[in-house]
Amino acid sequence: MMLTESPIRRLDAKAPGLAEELKRDLDIDITRCLECGKCSGGCSYAHGFDYTPRKMVQLIKLEERGKLLRMRALWTCLSCQLCLDRCPSSIDMPRILDYLRGKAYAERLNDVHPEIEKFYEIMLSDIRNNGRISETLMMARFNFATRRYFSNADLGMKLFFKGKLKLFGPKTKNLNSLRALFAKLLFRSPAEQEPS
Amino acid sequence: MSEKATALIIGGGIAGMEAALKLGQGGYRAVLAEKDHSLGGTVSKLCSSFPRWEDPQDLLRLKEQQLQSLETISILRDTEITGIEKKKGTFHATWKNSSGEEGALNAQAVIVATGFDLFDASIYGEYGYGIYPGVVNSLEFEQVLKDHTDGKAALPRNIAFFKCVGSRDRSKGHPYCSKICCMYTAKQAGTAKNLSPESKCYVFYMDYRAAGKEYEEFVRSVIEEKQVRYVRGRPSKVVMEKGQLLVRFEDTLIGAPMEVAVDMVVLASAVIPKPATRRLAEMLGLKTDEYGFIEAEYGSAVKAQENIFFAGGCGFAVETIGASAQGAAAAAEVMALFNKGGKP
Amino acid sequence: MNHKRIVSPEEKFPKVPESLFLFRSCTGSVEYPGTENAIKEILKLLGIKAVMDPDQTCCSGYLLTCSAYKPEFSLAVTARNLSLAERKDLDVFAFCNGCFGYLSELAHIILHNPDYKAMANSVIAPMGYEFKGTARIYHVQELYRRLQSNLVALVKRPLQGLRVGVHYGCHYLARQYGILDDGGYPSYIEDIISSLGGTPVFYKERQACCGYAVGRGFTHKENVVHPHLYSKLKSAREEGVEILVTVCPGCNTALDREQPALSERSGEKFGIPAIDVGQLIALALGVAVQKLGFKANTVPLDEVLRKISADKGENIQ
Repeated sequence: MMLTESPIRRLDAKAPGLAEELKRDLDIDITRCLECGKCSGGCSYAHGFDYTPRKMVQLIKLEERGKLLRMRALWTCLSCQLCLDRCPSSIDMPRILDYLRGKAYAERLNDVHPEIEKFYEIMLSDIRNNGRISETLMMARFNFATRRYFSNADLGMKLFFKGKLKLFGPKTKNLNSLRALFAKLLFRSPAEQEPS
Repeated sequence: MSEKATALIIGGGIAGMEAALKLGQGGYRAVLAEKDHSLGGTVSKLCSSFPRWEDPQDLLRLKEQQLQSLETISILRDTEITGIEKKKGTFHATWKNSSGEEGALNAQAVIVATGFDLFDASIYGEYGYGIYPGVVNSLEFEQVLKDHTDGKAALPRNIAFFKCVGSRDRSKGHPYCSKICCMYTAKQAGTAKNLSPESKCYVFYMDYRAAGKEYEEFVRSVIEEKQVRYVRGRPSKVVMEKGQLLVRFEDTLIGAPMEVAVDMVVLASAVIPKPATRRLAEMLGLKTDEYGFIEAEYGSAVKAQENIFFAGGCGFAVETIGASAQGAAAAAEVMALFNKGGKP
Repeated sequence: MNHKRIVSPEEKFPKVPESLFLFRSCTGSVEYPGTENAIKEILKLLGIKAVMDPDQTCCSGYLLTCSAYKPEFSLAVTARNLSLAERKDLDVFAFCNGCFGYLSELAHIILHNPDYKAMANSVIAPMGYEFKGTARIYHVQELYRRLQSNLVALVKRPLQGLRVGVHYGCHYLARQYGILDDGGYPSYIEDIISSLGGTPVFYKERQACCGYAVGRGFTHKENVVHPHLYSKLKSAREEGVEILVTVCPGCNTALDREQPALSERSGEKFGIPAIDVGQLIALALGVAVQKLGFKANTVPLDEVLRKISADKGENIQ
């Protein structure tokens, strides 16, 4: 391997692009972060994250796009909003994560969790076809698609045969108007590729 | 100015006492009005002091003895100033005491020394102040320390101290640093370890601000000699586990969410202005900042406006020594004013 | 927009509505149909008319997530749903934290951005819908609090000291403005429980998330949801919780449906039924057990029903 660069990372105070994007698109100013960690100590699942919310802010400051868009925490976040609720500077971390998830999805960087993509697909097509969702059916389809035949489906089917679960939820009446919405606004949706 | 020129000092805490003392020692007349029976204000509630582990009550006793020997100083205890207005260079004040007596007095200068309050920490539901009996604010903890010293109640075994409760929190309307909490929290944790060396004390901090003579050394000695554990991170919540308090936080130096079990949580609540300060500021037309602390005129540390001065916590959070210094400075301003024509 | 963090029920409802638009929950309809029935029974007893519309779709919370955070789409769906309530001149009452949270959030975005409002309306207009922004959005639990004394007066089957653990759910409590309680330490549902004769239990992980979130119950069940739920349910069991109540069918699904799997993975018994707070209130008000759909529950309620003498099931209203 050629030795070309110093192994020490050089800091450059030039405003990172991501922070500017967040300011522009979401009106969120991460320079307000006090680095106190109140978000992370209260987080529902930070003990299972690769980066705690406080570290994510630091990654944004350091313009670590790759780490942010590929981090496990992006998809294991429970969206419980506690980070925002506790933040002394009211930094809207849940919205930042929504934004990053959208980016990761758009850039197809969610390969760390292929099941996410599958889940989106199934959920969207369910809403498109019925207006409302049936988690029972979705769960079955999801498990089938991700080849997890014996996890949730197992319990789901048992419950179904015991009469505990309804398989179909009530359908929305005026479905054509909803499908028109899909057609108009969700051009890129995987659901569009499904036969209606 | 006339020989009878009198200063009215409102508030008999350490700042007001020092102002009265200096005026009296200089031969000037002053009336010191204190709403409580005893002098000393917040300092009278403290069980130890930084940076030298002295007993603040010794200091108050000394000051009070000195005050009582001064003929030109009169002290109105249990007395509140109910109204004040300025007419032709003279302040006309009315007062009422706890036995219902009312009266009026005139003064040529006023020193406001009404002190500060602590922010009501119950707004943080996640910390459980007012819900869990083991969660107290820092002034209440001074009493806990005193009770232990007096043999009334033993100190809880393991104690967590939260700094910046209300301070440095825009979401709760107090973006400022309350300045004194870093030092008194170090003092409180150190005192707990002095009284009960087997106790475990945890101080949660974002950073510790020890800007003052001997302050840094003091905090270091609390960490290194008293073995108080400093944890960098702002606690997120307190939950109850089988009767014990459990503090959840992130150790921000390694990025690990953690918890610690304690018997007591001490909240260093933000320093805020007293309602009395707001009332006086309104009556006297004083300028206050957006939080309600009295603002100084440009070029002075203690002058609010013509013939009106202030000292201590009514201007902003300040420690004992700083409040004393401001009291003395306010007294110097009054002396300069009264002495304009030569001798008093 | 009310920018106060905590509001009183009286501030929120100066006048109690005579009719309301009941916003149906997908999860509620499929997993626990008894939730909706319980709400309708309570409203009937309170003299409030519940109006529903078969044209309503999913609240669009799932849409917001699954359309890869493409907000335009969810905004249009929200505008369409809310326009249904506006046609009837009613306010929207959701009984799922997801519906409540997303409807409020998205309506707020639409109403504060004229461009988005125009966009959403231009999309739904050709199909005959229009969102004006007059409908307000509430959670049904807010109405229980507002009418707590009326509920207490209607009690026919006191809860007999039943040890109840409350699960509020993040998406109500973590709202920044206009909720009925302190998100850091909520207690008003506990207060309702006591007033109905129950014993509220403030268990350690009371405020912990249910773990299901948006799709996590599908995608990260074993590695995220289960460990999380395990500590929550364990703390409830250790403090003697006999039944858990929720205000969100999604949370309810997590707390109820996962118990067999948790038992299997931990070798510990839980056996704590989870129902909607409305179902518990309906029980206290004497509504027939058969109407409350408990056979949909994974963890049976037999012991609880016996304790409050509801095991015979009859309607005693």
